[in-house]
Parts: sequence; C-alpha cells; structure tokens
Amino acid sequence: MERHLLEVQDIHTFIGQFHILQGVSLAVPEGSITAVLGRNGAGKTTTLKSILGLTPPRQGRVVFAGQEIQGRPAYEIAAMGVGYVPEHRAIFTDLTVAENLRIAERRRGDLDRKADFIFGLFPDLKRLYRLPGGHLSGGQQQMLAIARALVPDNRLLLIDEPSEGLAPILIQELMEAIRRLSEEVTVVLVEQNFQMASQLADRYVIIDDGRFVRSGPMSELLDDEETVRRYLGAAV
Amino acid sequence: MGKRYRAVIASVALVVVLVGIAYAGFGATKTASVLLSGLTLAALYFLLAAGLSLIFGLMDVLNFAHGTLFMIGAYVGYTAFGNPRLLLNTLPLFLALLAGATAGTIVGRPLRAWEQAVRRRLTAGEASGNGREVLRALLARLTPSLLLALLAVALVLWGVRGFPLDRLVAFEATATGGAIPTAEAQEPIPRMLLRLAQMALAGLLAGPALARERREQGMWKEGMLAGAIGLVGLLILLARDPLEGFLLGLSVDLRFLLALTAGAVVGALLGGLIERTLIRPFYGRPITQIVLTLGLMFVGTELVKAVWGREGHPPMTVPSLFAESCRSESLAAWLTEHCSSIDVLGRAFPTYRLFIIFVGGVILVGVGLLLRYSRLGMIIRAGVQDSEMVEALGINVRRVFTFVFALGSALAALGGVVAAPFVGVYPEMGGIFQLQAFIAVVIGGMGSYGGTAVGALLLGLARAFGDVLVTSGIPIPWAEQALRASPAVARASTVLIMAIVLLVRPAGIFGRKE
Repeated sequence: MERHLLEVQDIHTFIGQFHILQGVSLAVPEGSITAVLGRNGAGKTTTLKSILGLTPPRQGRVVFAGQEIQGRPAYEIAAMGVGYVPEHRAIFTDLTVAENLRIAERRRGDLDRKADFIFGLFPDLKRLYRLPGGHLSGGQQQMLAIARALVPDNRLLLIDEPSEGLAPILIQELMEAIRRLSEEVTVVLVEQNFQMASQLADRYVIIDDGRFVRSGPMSELLDDEETVRRYLGAAV
Repeated sequence: MGKRYRAVIASVALVVVLVGIAYAGFGATKTASVLLSGLTLAALYFLLAAGLSLIFGLMDVLNFAHGTLFMIGAYVGYTAFGNPRLLLNTLPLFLALLAGATAGTIVGRPLRAWEQAVRRRLTAGEASGNGREVLRALLARLTPSLLLALLAVALVLWGVRGFPLDRLVAFEATATGGAIPTAEAQEPIPRMLLRLAQMALAGLLAGPALARERREQGMWKEGMLAGAIGLVGLLILLARDPLEGFLLGLSVDLRFLLALTAGAVVGALLGGLIERTLIRPFYGRPITQIVLTLGLMFVGTELVKAVWGREGHPPMTVPSLFAESCRSESLAAWLTEHCSSIDVLGRAFPTYRLFIIFVGGVILVGVGLLLRYSRLGMIIRAGVQDSEMVEALGINVRRVFTFVFALGSALAALGGVVAAPFVGVYPEMGGIFQLQAFIAVVIGGMGSYGGTAVGALLLGLARAFGDVLVTSGIPIPWAEQALRASPAVARASTVLIMAIVLLVRPAGIFGRKE
C-alpha cells in the first residue's frame, strides 16, 4: 500500500448548528501537491480547518504521519509539523516582517536555519524585513504568510486560496515558489483558480456540498471535461 | 502610521493647551500641584485600565469583575499590612486545596479521558436534536467529574465551617501599631490539621474536572509539585507562631512590601483561577461573558463584605518612608529625611502620592518592555489581532490567555494596595475606579496599550483640574468672579471627554478594533 502522510476518513464537521462537512475523505501521499477543488461554499476551507483542528470534526478520523490527530487541540497538531497558510493571509499587521517570521519558530534558531531557503524563494522579504506587516502589498503579504509556514520544520503545508486577489504576474511568481517549496514539504492546496491548480497539483480531490465526490491523479481530471464543468464550473 | 502620529500629536496638543490654560489662570505653583494630583489619579486608573485593555484586546472579554479584583487587592493588602496573622491562618488552607487539586489532576486524568471519549461518542449525531439525542447529550455533559467537583465544593464549605474568620480579621489594632491579642483568635493546631485534610480531599475530588485529557509526560514533576505545595502549607501552619512574631517584627516599610506582594499574588491567582474555570468555557460568547463577569462583581463584593464587613476603613498607614512629619526641599533630601511631603515650587505635596506615580510609571514601562521585546509579548501582540492564527502556528494560546488574565488581575490588585493609603478601603471602591478605568480604555482605544496609558493620563488630569474648578474655580482675566462649577460637573467631566473623543474617533484615540 502506498504510504500517505495525511489521511482523512469520512469526517463530519459542524459549525454551530450547520452540518458543513458531511463525509469528506482524502489521502495525501508524501511529497505530493494535492489540490482540493470544488465550488464556493463546498467546504474546502472547512476541510483544511478540520485537519488542523481549528474546527474539530465531530466524527471520522484524521491520521497524520501515522497518528490519529482528530480531537487534539490545534496548537498540538500544528506543532506536529503542519503549517497553515489561511485564506486572506492572516499575517500580523502590527508585527514587523521579522517578527511575523520569528513568532512561527518552534525551536530557537529555526528562522536562522531556514533563512536562506525562505529568502531564496521570496527575495523581497529580505528587503522588507524591518517593516510592519501592514505596510506590505497583497502579494508580499501572501509571500510572508507562506514564508511564515516554512519557518519551523513542517512536513505538511495547508495553503488556502493563495492566488486570491493577486495580479496574474504575481500568480506566476507564487506558483513557481510553491513548486519549489513542494520539493521540501507535502502540500494540500485549496484553489479556486483551476488553471493554477491544474498546473501545480499532482493529485486532485473534489468536494461538493460538504461531501467527497472523487479523487485521482490530476492528469485524469484534465481529460474529464464533464466532471470539471459539472463540479467546478470551469473549462479545462 | 500617519493616523497614529496625528492621534499622538492631537493628544499632546490637548494636554499642552489644558496645562497652558491652567498656568495662565493659577500660576506655576498651583498648576504643578494640580498636575501631580492628576498624575496620581492617572497612575491608579492606569493600573486598572492596563489589565482591562490587555484582556479585552487579546480575549475580547469585557471584564466587569476587574474593579472587584482591585478592591480585593486593597483588602488583602490592608490585611497583610495590619494583620499578617490572617495570612498565616488562611494560606495553609489554600495551599492544601491547591496541593490536592494538583494531585487530583494527575489521578483524575484517566477518568477525564474516558469521559471525553464517551462524550464524543454520545454527541456524535447531536445536531438533529430529537428528544432521545438531547437526553443523551445531557447525560454526556453530566459527567462523574462534574459531580465530584460539586462534592468538592460541599466539602470545602464543610471544611471552613466555624472558622473564626471574624476574630482573625479584626486588625485595626495593629494597623495603628498596637499589639495583636493572639491566643484566642487562632484555632488549635489539631483542628486546623483536620481542616487542612478536608481541603486537600476537596482538591483531590475537584481534580478530574480540572484535568486535561492527555499529556503523558510530566506526571512526576506534577506529583512532586503537589507534595511540595502541601508541605509548605503544613510548615506555615506548624510555624505560625514564630512566623507571626517575625512578621510583626518587620519594619513598617517591609510590611508594606509584604502587602504589595500579597495583593499582587492573590490578584494573579484569583485572575488565573477565574479564567481557567469560568471564562474559558465561554470564549466567543460575549453576552454570556458580560453576564458572568457582572455576576462575579456582585459575588466578589458581597464575599468581601461577608469577610471584612460592610463598613470601609480609613486610609491605611503610610509606610515610614513617606511618614516623617516634615517637608523635604527636594527628592534628594527626601531620600535621607523620608518626609511625608515635599516642596513643589513652594507648595507641599504628599510624597506617598509621588510613590503612586512612580509605581504607575514602573508598571507602564515594565509591561511595555515585556510587550515590545519578549517572545511572550510578541505572541500577545499577535494574539490581539488574530488569536486563532497564533494557535495555528503551534502556540498554546489558551495558556497565554490565562497568563494575561492573571497579569491584568495582579496589576489591578496591586493598584488596590497602592491606593489603600491614599483613599482607604471600602467595598464600593472597585466600582468607582473601574468606571474611570473603562472610560480611560475607551478613550485610548480598546486593546491598545499605549492608548490606555494616554487615556488614563487625560482622565487623571481632567479629574484633578475638575476638582480645582469646583473648590476654588478658575480665575478669568476679563470676569470679576472666578469661574466655578458644581461638583457634578467635575464628576461629569470624564464622561464628557469620552463623549467628545468618541465623536471624533469612534474607536478611541489609538483604536482600530470596533
């Protein structure tokens, strides 16, 4: 059997009284980029948050690196090696770029060890190092948010809608960065921009209305225009 | 950044204009002493407001019990200063309870883990909400650990029955330097040992409810900790007579230091306990929190009345550093003379009030440095903006919440002790100061630390100048009579300032949060 870094089995998540996820499953092989696809409101963001424990699933299993993690507090799950790049970036605007990175350290010296790798991916951040995060442009904030998730030794990155609100030229730059960092860590990517997702990801998972629909290698999906149109409303 | 600079410039300009007007009207001498009076009030407001602002900023909790913690701090300090005996007789009880609870969290862990597992299973299909499932969910919440905790509360009540608190609390005798009649107020050691055992057992029973589900490591450490706490409690009890002799033999200044420490420590422990047990289950539910902290305010006030009596006490004796009846020419002279007042441009000003300003300044700078330069401070600043993201980085943000709540409570309680020689202690002092502190926080901008300091400063000055306006009035060059206001105007002045600030900047001077 193929070794999976992350396995989500039939999770159900409630937010308040709303039954948002009604059976989502996915399996993420180590070293891959897996795209979670689906329409607006299909439950993609909630799926990421359920993996991390920010909205703990009430039912089902989440297995990360061989351990069941559902029901654990989010900070414990994150500390096991799961990095999170949320929708709308959520960088700390009052903290400087340096502080935004240093706060993610789990051990003293994490940032120093990773600095070359991070600034190799995002050279801009070096120039902006002393500025408050709030002064950065949208694209720079997105890069900071990804860089922040790379500071500790994470094995899995959950990236939510990285291209949202970015100019096409920035999206190209961002894709290149994600491709390069995926040589170091496994990535689960939620992305509305099907073009971007299809170029980056090795595998796909489609969610619709809080339910698992299908998954497989990305190449398979590119040949299946019917599915793409039906669940994503996009053209191949 | 531009907006913040403008806010700073505007507040500085406002202060300069106010002081300028006062200077023109009164001349330098009176202006200086009014200014210092304002700073004294500002320091006290700040000690309360700093915690309010941090707690609101980080956890979005409006803590209406903050003034109560201030008041409790004042009472604890007053008692520790005047009657250390109460400390020696009650501390072992608390320590026994704490030791029991610490041991209980270890022993109770398997029970707790089992409960959580059962609960998860039972609540799995809860949302549909038909009768049988609601009943199952109810059963899942009515857990053995909760029942044990209720039993523990009953045991605590039984354990303190007949404790001669009223006799122990009568402390006026020593506040003015008299002797304490010792023998009959204290209970015999065997009776106290029984109470200690009851407390420890109660703590043990409450343990499972406080236990966390997992965390396998550290059992040894916690066990040792429980033993150590219990041992310290026992030792204090057994050595209470020599300890009492020691404490009463301390100089007035050292006893004041003891009072400050006791107040701050009790504040921190109470704050931490309140956060862990009462606030924590209700994060993200603002209405519940407000009702809860309001309730705590009433309960706390009534408890204080039950222990210390409904009547307040006159201002606490000023430590001897500020008590010699003379007037020092300068701060340098005061260092050797310890006069009760100091010459400020020809007018006497009480040196103890300078001490209050000093404490306010030290706390302002100390907490400011903590926030700016420590990792913890960085986490707090980040958490003020987005605590969920902080948690997603692998940081146990709940623990930071508890720390900040305890820190804020400690500052409030410290403020209470510092205020006691200035305004006395009385049950209503909490509400009075809390109102001003809330106004200071709102003026400065909820959740902004610097803003809170500015807000407290504006408010303190306004209050001091308002008082002058009432007592002597402000002379106006072109009018024959000085402009005088009624006392109501002075009291309303702070609210007036708040109204003006909020009209111009709805989020407060430095605020961004709504």
